[in-house]
Amino acid sequence: MSAWTEADLLHWDEKILHVAEDLGLDWHPIDYEIIDYQEMIGAMAYVGLPTHYRHWSYGKEYERTHTLYNMGQRGLPYEMIINSNPSIAYLMRENPLYIHLLTMAHCVGHSDFFKNNRMFADTNPNNIIDSFKSASKYVRKLIEDPSIGIDRVETILDAAHSIKYQVPRFVGIAYKTTEEIIKAEKKKMDSDPSYTTNLAKMPLEPEYNLLRFIAEHSKHLKEWERNLLLIVEESSKYFIPQALTKIMNEGWACTIHYKIINELNLPDNLHLPFIKLHNQVVRPHLGEINPYHLGYKLFEKLIEEHGFEEAKTIREVHNDITFLRFYLDEEFMRQMNYFSYSFKKEKKSLTIDDVSDNAGWADVRDELIQNSGLNRIPIVYIEEIEKDNTLALKHEHDGRDLDLRYAEKVFNYIRTLWGDNVKLISLVENEIWEF
Amino acid sequence: MSVFRKHKSIVDRAASDRSRHKKKIEKAIKESIKDVIAEESIIGQNGKKKIRIPVRGLREYRFVYGNNENNKSVGSGGDHSLKKGQKIGKKRGEQAAGQGAGKASDQKGDEYYDVEVTLEELAEYLFNDLELPDLEKKQFRFVSHETIKRKGYRFKGIRPRLSKKETLKRKIRRQKIAEKVGTHDPESDERFPFHKDDLKYHHIKPKIKENSSAVIFFLMDVSGSMSQERKFLARSFFFLLYQFLNHKYDQVEVVFISHSTHANRVSEDDFFRVGTHGGTIISSCLDLELDIVEKEFHPNSWNIYSFYCGDGENWSSDNEKCLDLFKEIKEISQLTGYCEINEHYRGLGDEIDKDDVFHGTPWHTFSAWKNEEMDNLWSKLNPICDNKFKRIMIGEPEHIWRAFHGLFGGKTS
Repeated sequence: MSAWTEADLLHWDEKILHVAEDLGLDWHPIDYEIIDYQEMIGAMAYVGLPTHYRHWSYGKEYERTHTLYNMGQRGLPYEMIINSNPSIAYLMRENPLYIHLLTMAHCVGHSDFFKNNRMFADTNPNNIIDSFKSASKYVRKLIEDPSIGIDRVETILDAAHSIKYQVPRFVGIAYKTTEEIIKAEKKKMDSDPSYTTNLAKMPLEPEYNLLRFIAEHSKHLKEWERNLLLIVEESSKYFIPQALTKIMNEGWACTIHYKIINELNLPDNLHLPFIKLHNQVVRPHLGEINPYHLGYKLFEKLIEEHGFEEAKTIREVHNDITFLRFYLDEEFMRQMNYFSYSFKKEKKSLTIDDVSDNAGWADVRDELIQNSGLNRIPIVYIEEIEKDNTLALKHEHDGRDLDLRYAEKVFNYIRTLWGDNVKLISLVENEIWEF
Repeated sequence: MSVFRKHKSIVDRAASDRSRHKKKIEKAIKESIKDVIAEESIIGQNGKKKIRIPVRGLREYRFVYGNNENNKSVGSGGDHSLKKGQKIGKKRGEQAAGQGAGKASDQKGDEYYDVEVTLEELAEYLFNDLELPDLEKKQFRFVSHETIKRKGYRFKGIRPRLSKKETLKRKIRRQKIAEKVGTHDPESDERFPFHKDDLKYHHIKPKIKENSSAVIFFLMDVSGSMSQERKFLARSFFFLLYQFLNHKYDQVEVVFISHSTHANRVSEDDFFRVGTHGGTIISSCLDLELDIVEKEFHPNSWNIYSFYCGDGENWSSDNEKCLDLFKEIKEISQLTGYCEINEHYRGLGDEIDKDDVFHGTPWHTFSAWKNEEMDNLWSKLNPICDNKFKRIMIGEPEHIWRAFHGLFGGKTS
């Protein structure tokens, strides 16, 4: 079926990279692994990482993908690429040549994005593979340790995973230990006598890094348990920038693959299926946001209005939220025909709240932004350690209530980790709610 | 220049996480089993029927927004003209904007995590730690089936049984010898073909698998006092029992007997479906069982199990006779179970000692006994209760599984 050879790939790769250079892109070298579909499902379960620590949830992910794929309900992704140096990407052996060409050109786009976008400044592409490898080794050691074992490791990992997104969402701000914060506050007070602060409060400022804080301040965790929390935090740090830039990253990669492939002067038997595939990737999904579609269309508009060089600057400095906030306008929103909807109790139905017309487009945009990147995940931070070592958490309420059933489970997980009393304050239907 | 690598790993890296996940599913299935066995829909189905079991405890919880009005979703409307306030469907991601919209929002993607299992698999999960008591090797045993087994090699045989490995071994041996004696030069391009004498064939031997045989008597009260609800409990119990015995035995004969004032041997379908009518004389079905045993299932060659299920409301004058017949049945059976369905038992479950349910003294709150001034069948059976004769009480679906454990040991979970 797939009548291509490695020589074909090498031949086209050279041309693709040549066009990419002409476009002024700057990417990490790319290593392609040629794998079969089962290995692809395996790689997907571990989000593409060649090594990853063990946890049953990845087995679950594998089974789910495998089932959906076998039932024909889901195709496998054409591309998967790791933000490392060199970038690691996968090509599925069963795919025909034109899909590989699209994938390879697409991967150049991603790799360029990883290397240049500001959100990825703190990721460590040179060491990331090694750091996952050593985490994996460490977890295996704990599992094999007869005094610890898999059940206890899972107790901690299950709990840690429940708050893996409760880490800072801003890039470039380093975590400060308590000593560092106190030292800085003291210095401030010394230099400015009118400045006062309650040094006994802990933490002095709201702490958004739950995993790190609990690892450092829980009075009950053992050394290996703290290390597990830090391993989960470390892997979150790798994924956060990708979650922050899903729309931009995919939009950019689609823009690049389209530009590159069109420069290649492919023969018709490759070019026509490529165009078909491209249109399939960037088509709108009814009732949903397809990040490939939104990102691609928005970059297309920006390149039209400001030129490719300006677009390259945009791919450097923005994340999804600022990207949408800055560049979505009425005309574009109308063209995309976006609308917002929610479940209305009195109508017992999903009901359209706003459509992208003159009166509604700005609201739809705001709601779109609320659903983008990490905005979909509630923010819960540590307010204070109160008396009796009670950990007081607060949900940053933005109008949307928490799902209480889920919140309660997570609350219990946090209690497991903290070991002492925990409380969590939120708002439910405009009333204060305490767990 | 990019690098292209053929993946070299043959190891299935997800294997250990998958098996761990599978273990968790099995555990979750066991935990939700008592909800499942009381499902009407599984009763009367054959072993290949798939049942959906909702699995809890495998969800990965994190903070998510609830499905409330302030939590709005945004979507693309395609070519549709949409209006504010327009209704677009019941569920998120379903039929939004009038056409198939693909999958729902991934916020709580694993909300409905069901596992599909067949009844056979379910039986595997359910019954693995339960035992059939006192299965004796009876004098005459069933030849349940013949299998064939490979055993050694022969020079003669039919083509399909050719052993490629052995044949090749002989050829290589012959080739080495030829090289040593100099009739064949390994350096030359000359072929060294197979010879007829190289060919070796698998030899097979038939193997007879022997099996103990068992006959199970299902006795059920279908009198007028057996309300729909009581009958449902009885049927559920029998159904579970049937699956269990089918699971444990390759070969199991089941005799279905239903009775009101007189007893009938009925088909499986009728047993599980037929309505109720008439009065109650329990001894009628016990008589019939003994009759059938005598004619068809000699205790010397059959393991006999008898299970009675009814509401205990018998003609009081019949109770003495029942006791005698139960004694007789107990003598010839490996296990006899007497199961009483009484919804008054419901809710008492927590207050009473679990063991009492099976062997202890009866409770005065049960209407059946009150009216009979303790002269009821349940208490009449007191003296014969032991490991070979067990009484159980079922008040609501949740009790079925517990009662089951009471009969066949294993831990009550």
